[in-house]
Amino acid sequence: MIARIQKALEKCGISLWRVNETVEETAELFFVKKQLDTRRVKDVRKYEVTVFRDVEDTGGGRPRRGFTAARLVSSMDDGQIEEELRGAYYAAQFAANPYYELPDPVKAPMVEKTGPLAEAPLAESAGKMVKALFAPDVHEDAFLNSAEVFVHRKLLRILSSEGADVSYTDACVKGEFVVQCREPEDVEIHNTFFYDDLNGEALSGKVTEALAFVRDRARARRVLKSGKYDLVLSGNQVAEVLSYYQSRSSASAVYAKYSTWQQGEDVQGADVTGERLDVTLRAVVPYSEEGIPMKDMSLLEAGKLQAYHGPNRFCRYLGVKPTGFYGKLACANGTLPFAEMKKKPCLWAVTFSDFQMDAMSGHFGGEIRLAYLIDGDTVTPVTGGSVNGSVLEAQKAFTFSTDRYVTASYDGPYAMRILDVSIAGAS
Amino acid sequence: MFETINRVKPGLKKLVAALRETYPYASVLAVADDSRSWGVSRSGTAISTPGMGGAGYVVRVFDGTGCAEYSFNEFSEERIPEIASTLARRLAEQAGALEGIAPLPTPVPADEPAALKKETAYRIHPRELGDEAIVERVAALRKKALAYDERILDAQVRVSYRAYRKLFLSENRDLDQTGMWTTAAIVAMASRGQEIKMSYRPFSVLGGAEVLDEADGGVEKVCADVLELLDSQPIPPGEYECVCDPETTGMIVHEAFGHGVEMDMFVKDRAQAKNFIGQYVASPLVTMHDGSAVEQTATAFFDDEGTLTGDTVIIDKGVLKTGMCDALSAARLGVAPTGNGRRESYERKAYARMTNTYFQGGEATAEEMIASVKDGFLLESPDSGMEDPKNWGIQCMVTTAREIKDGRLTGRIFSPIVLTGYVPDLLKSVTMMGVAPELSGSGFCGKGYKEWVKVSDGGPYMKARIRLG
Repeated sequence: MIARIQKALEKCGISLWRVNETVEETAELFFVKKQLDTRRVKDVRKYEVTVFRDVEDTGGGRPRRGFTAARLVSSMDDGQIEEELRGAYYAAQFAANPYYELPDPVKAPMVEKTGPLAEAPLAESAGKMVKALFAPDVHEDAFLNSAEVFVHRKLLRILSSEGADVSYTDACVKGEFVVQCREPEDVEIHNTFFYDDLNGEALSGKVTEALAFVRDRARARRVLKSGKYDLVLSGNQVAEVLSYYQSRSSASAVYAKYSTWQQGEDVQGADVTGERLDVTLRAVVPYSEEGIPMKDMSLLEAGKLQAYHGPNRFCRYLGVKPTGFYGKLACANGTLPFAEMKKKPCLWAVTFSDFQMDAMSGHFGGEIRLAYLIDGDTVTPVTGGSVNGSVLEAQKAFTFSTDRYVTASYDGPYAMRILDVSIAGAS
Repeated sequence: MFETINRVKPGLKKLVAALRETYPYASVLAVADDSRSWGVSRSGTAISTPGMGGAGYVVRVFDGTGCAEYSFNEFSEERIPEIASTLARRLAEQAGALEGIAPLPTPVPADEPAALKKETAYRIHPRELGDEAIVERVAALRKKALAYDERILDAQVRVSYRAYRKLFLSENRDLDQTGMWTTAAIVAMASRGQEIKMSYRPFSVLGGAEVLDEADGGVEKVCADVLELLDSQPIPPGEYECVCDPETTGMIVHEAFGHGVEMDMFVKDRAQAKNFIGQYVASPLVTMHDGSAVEQTATAFFDDEGTLTGDTVIIDKGVLKTGMCDALSAARLGVAPTGNGRRESYERKAYARMTNTYFQGGEATAEEMIASVKDGFLLESPDSGMEDPKNWGIQCMVTTAREIKDGRLTGRIFSPIVLTGYVPDLLKSVTMMGVAPELSGSGFCGKGYKEWVKVSDGGPYMKARIRLG
């Protein structure tokens, strides 16, 4: 198919292009309680061809460069492939933007992911994760209501007219599960998981924790009063808050002037009384979709921005090295054991219906499904109400736990404490 | 367009027949797809081909364990034996790795005979209008927004369409539909220090580039809104009399109630609504519909499991009548499916999903509602929401709350706003319902945190008591 595409590109007179080939297979399992609901398997092979077109700059400067893409499958005949490519090439002239160089080409042997998840049959990996999922589900009062397990394996190849030819394999397991507790109130909590290895132990641990949380939600009361609280966030919510720094430092946001951050700037602010942020962006694949070799990069050191990151075009515009898009954020902070962190009065918000960080406004929040109102020795599970905070205020006094939390997209403190956050009560 | 479907149809019929030799039920859904998106912003001009479904095939069979599916995107008659053997082999491998796990009992579908070939209408096909003209129109909208006020930091304008053809074949069904929706969105941005305020105005049609005519009229409103947000302040948390604009009503319909009556949630014992069929869950002013009786982005003639669609009355004058049901859940619950089995793409599972979901109109006007409020807010511009079918908790975010005192808008703006509370409390508190429902289908709806499908929702202006924070 690659050869057919290259031939069609030549026939269409398209000299600048990139081909992304993706071959993916999955095993997918769906459960209701402990019963098997549906099984799904998938085998797909896709080709996305990005075509670039230079058009004359009416101001007499360097040509402007536009691009668009065509999605192809091997069952298309040669005529259909050429028609799609011609259509994309025609459109590209109307998407012309200031000139930029394409990524420096890299040619390298395939990088193969190793380990059980990458090497074992998909069905076997799915079976192991299912066993890990249900292993802690041994209680009468709190149990797994339903679950979905997806095991993915991919081969990606990137070629370009500039001479790039790289490829790699990848694998992950992800899914979701709902835990339920019927007494004293019938409640549930929705959870997601995402691992880049066959981490059954982590999944079992997550289920065990979720079962404990749902028991507490069942006895939680709607007694939270509106006001300002010292808020403790944990797990995925910490990653979500920290995603603000990744979004604001992206070359695309800076180029568009949605972010005014400068490299070397103290983006956390001058009047910080809490921990200063140390954040790294981790490469989770060897190459970006543009074929850029990806390496870990330091994003923040002591709250200061170290570098911009992002796709080729916007990095070229800013005159910085293109990095590609990062899929994992790591945070080195942590000064207080989690057990100590929640000793002082606070509201530890454990689960939300949908906790969100708006990187544009800096607001974070969501509706509380379970929180613990901690006041000295008294710990009261509460439900209802909502968090409405601003990272612009919160970042002055972050405290992070020394306890760690690791997923396929985050490696950092398990918990963070934020002072004086506005909470809308449930009573 | 979509001639590929004609070419492969005889082969797909043979595939179904071949699978029926092994399985008591077999069907195939074939999807052909054409989409494009045009956007202009400070980042530049972009023309992209977003993955809004993709072209491929999904086979569904029933074996001794239950329902199984195989998704693939390479098909020819010659591949039929390979497809059949791959499916059999992988199901056997999975069975070996799941020893001891019992299947969820599911009756084999009845596969009642049906045949249909229909397409939705459009005025201007985006492909016929062409890339150059569309980029020009989009750029002109942005230029108009930027010229509105020098405090507008940027205006992002985007137009997207998806045309598709879906063919569903089983032993007794031959269903063929072609459809197209087009959406436009204008986002205006203005900054207050490091904080960037955004205002958003969506437009959508079951059709084509005619949506651009609607968008022309929306620029001034979206720009005025974002400038007002620069002076917005956090709202004092509390429960207030609220007037919801049609889009906010739509978000409440969809997020707060709609997800809770998706009947796969009944199978899982995840929805309170299951226990409230036949009971009052809302004010008698509330009547709720889902389906294809209206023309919006989710209108279809059959769903992704080959069930014909219609108009489902979910709530009738405050009484919960039924939910929305996919075929598998219907078989398990012993009810008729309602044509709500929808997939993100041929690569994904079908779930019970909403389509066009809305509250029916009443008799009040927006002006009458505002005049009746002593101390409350007009809620506008919904941002996002999340369902809680089990506990009927509400989480909806809106961008703007306009203060109302003694029946008049004061001009004070509060933002952002989180709506919380208990769904039946909110719906039973509805005291006024506007005349004309308006539907908007600009967004996609997720199930949990994934499975994005095109939906529309809406209703008229609506007055209710809502907890805001």
